[in-house]
Amino acid sequence: MGVARLKKAELYYHKSVHEQIAAALQETGACQIISTSEENISRPAEVENLISCTEEKLADVRYLNRTLTPHYVDPIPALDRMLGERPEATMAELEELAKNTDLKSVCDEVRAVEHETGEVRLKLSEAKLNDSILSSLAFLDYPLSIFTEGTKTVTALAGTIKPENITGLKTALGDFSKLAQDSELIIAPFSEKEKPSEIYAAVIYSRSVESEVREACSKCGLSVIEIPSSFTLTSAEEKEKISASISELEAKESALAAKMSELANANMLTVQKLSDYYNSLAGRYIGTAKSDETECTMLTKFWLPADKAEEIKLKIEAISPEIDLTLADPAPDEEPPSLLNNGNLVRPFNILTELYSSPTYRGIDPTPLLAPFFWIFFGMCLGDAGYALVVFGAILYVFRRYKKISVGVKEFIRLFLFCSVSTFIYGVISGSFFGNFIDSFLPFLVPLKNSLMLVDPMTNPMQVLGISLLLGVIHLMFGLLIAAYDKLRHKEFIDAVGNDISWFLLIVGLCLFGAAAGGMLPEHFVQIGEAMAILGAVIIFFYAGKEKKGIISKIISGFLALYGSTSYLGDILSYSRLLALGFGSAVIGMVINLLGGLAADIPYVGWLVAVVVIVGGHLFSIAINILGSFVHPLRLQYVEFFGKFYSGGGETFTPMTLSQEYINVKA
Amino acid sequence: MEMLGLSLAMLGAALAAALAGIGSAIGIGVAGGAAAGVMTEDPNKFGSCLILQALPGTQGIYGLLIAFFVLNKLGLLGGGGALAVTWNQGLQILFSCLPIALAGWQSAIWQGRTSAASIQMISKKPEAMGKAIILPAMVETYAVLALLVSILMLMGVQVG
Repeated sequence: MGVARLKKAELYYHKSVHEQIAAALQETGACQIISTSEENISRPAEVENLISCTEEKLADVRYLNRTLTPHYVDPIPALDRMLGERPEATMAELEELAKNTDLKSVCDEVRAVEHETGEVRLKLSEAKLNDSILSSLAFLDYPLSIFTEGTKTVTALAGTIKPENITGLKTALGDFSKLAQDSELIIAPFSEKEKPSEIYAAVIYSRSVESEVREACSKCGLSVIEIPSSFTLTSAEEKEKISASISELEAKESALAAKMSELANANMLTVQKLSDYYNSLAGRYIGTAKSDETECTMLTKFWLPADKAEEIKLKIEAISPEIDLTLADPAPDEEPPSLLNNGNLVRPFNILTELYSSPTYRGIDPTPLLAPFFWIFFGMCLGDAGYALVVFGAILYVFRRYKKISVGVKEFIRLFLFCSVSTFIYGVISGSFFGNFIDSFLPFLVPLKNSLMLVDPMTNPMQVLGISLLLGVIHLMFGLLIAAYDKLRHKEFIDAVGNDISWFLLIVGLCLFGAAAGGMLPEHFVQIGEAMAILGAVIIFFYAGKEKKGIISKIISGFLALYGSTSYLGDILSYSRLLALGFGSAVIGMVINLLGGLAADIPYVGWLVAVVVIVGGHLFSIAINILGSFVHPLRLQYVEFFGKFYSGGGETFTPMTLSQEYINVKA
Repeated sequence: MEMLGLSLAMLGAALAAALAGIGSAIGIGVAGGAAAGVMTEDPNKFGSCLILQALPGTQGIYGLLIAFFVLNKLGLLGGGGALAVTWNQGLQILFSCLPIALAGWQSAIWQGRTSAASIQMISKKPEAMGKAIILPAMVETYAVLALLVSILMLMGVQVG
């Protein structure tokens, strides 16, 4: 239980076997390489070469992966993939595959298609732009050569103008030209109703007044558009030409896309396999690159779990006789990484600790301490026997159907399997089965339901609120005791009493006092509670001022520390969410049943609508409530509970492992 | 005037569902924008982004829950017809709805902002998912407390 004991291994070996050693260390999946010395920047040349070779291959694999993935339809559904239904291969098979695959030529082929696609797209966007220019010039009957070339005496420009500026432009053009035939303004037809913000216009003018026309146009807010010089025919004729080339380009583009997805389908599986293969290789060589070296030998240091040490030692020593492996316990000044090692019942909860922060190697592993509380809290928040059965059944189905689920995913699912049990229990004792399904639709079961009920949040919420807050006090006090234990372990007696035990006395004392005064406990608990609370408060008062000089600042800090009790009040009230969330899921369930019942009154199809509403509604309710029931109990652990004793801060044990991003790799 | 009580109570239900719903919609919208941004870089983050985006959605559900609670109390669900509600009782129900309406509305918006920031965080540090979930959940505390107060207040109001 707790943080696993690690051993530090020092492994000396001849350089001739360094590849086998690296492979063996990675295959065990239980060795975390230690960087030997900070100053050691140069890496053994042999390993350096292997790394650069692998990186070169990886660059190709990454390129192919990145380029082909958008064109690839994964034949394995995402859910199946997540649950471990993936292709399998051994490292030997992958090595064979790597040897027989000509990555370079595949890359070249893909690059060619990619390049061509880019070019086609560029041309296509140009053609589409020209096409839109042509559409906007459709109002002109003149050949477009008048814009691009002009005649000897006449040329033209086209542009856009705001409707309100048209009159201005007309006057301006009329003003400077004494002869009206020096210029002609043609405005594209538009309807007054639509109120377009900009209108196309063309000005045809004599070359002799070019500069005046241009000046008038820019003054009146006509922004000139550039007409591509390839346009010479009328806009209708040009448009015909362009739409022919657009459809041709589009056909080309889709042919290229088809080629790309063909390439993707043909190569993606290999690329994924090779990606895992080369990433594994890179990982292992980068690991052993941290070794020290002499001319012919290398020294690799690594951490490994103590319980696997002998097994791994035998395995490595079998590689070559010229190997020396010494195992030692971590020195007091060393800070090994931490590996959580918990039994079957607690292991699924490891993820909750790891999500926060791993403990230090010599610190407390909070997982077994938080597990029962999380289990209870989750149950209270989801709190419905029917929902629990659905979750439980779904998980059993997944475990039956999928046999190759990876360890991490499996543990996470098991967490919910465990929690569905507490959910079921709380659902039974609070009388919630798909909300009030029993009361609404199965009245004959009501006596059974009622006989099993211990609490009734619907009619007596104060009772459940009391239970929630009491659980909160227990949780917090447990946290304080753990903190005190941890300090006592490190012989910090005064801090343990002043920081933790004092608060424990004060709060437990107050609770006893309150409970006894309210008649829930025998009367003599009043005095006991009072005494505990006063003793606790006195210790807090004096402990807070212990490092202050001067009587006044001692008194002030003492009172400030006592004021800190408000934070405990806040902490305890925070547990009222257990009632609120449990209540929430019960009421949502109730609402769904109610709607289902209402729907059933619809003539003829009522029953069908009712089934859809009830099934769909409860599935939605399960999904949304599981999220809430996971997040809120987790917050109670992290903020309220961990706040008392745990700060994590350890380095997680990350052994060298085979990369298994896409396929299941076996050693 | 005899319907005033009922109207006030219904105003309460409407405020609870509408304001908390507005808050959740804004919160989820803000978080969704951030999620879409992150997913353009890395579509594989869909799962974790979706969870973070969904977090500010609970306020809307709390509001809905209180609204149904009120409607049920008034006898408006099912065919029985509305119960007689004095204007005093109606006002009491209206006030009972305010905690979740107001706290739900504002907390969902702020939770959405925190979720958006958390989504940014997991785009850089996917391993920090646990912390990323907890930060928005801190904001939700106050919606949960408001829900609790609304429920307790409503249970205290005697109708019919």
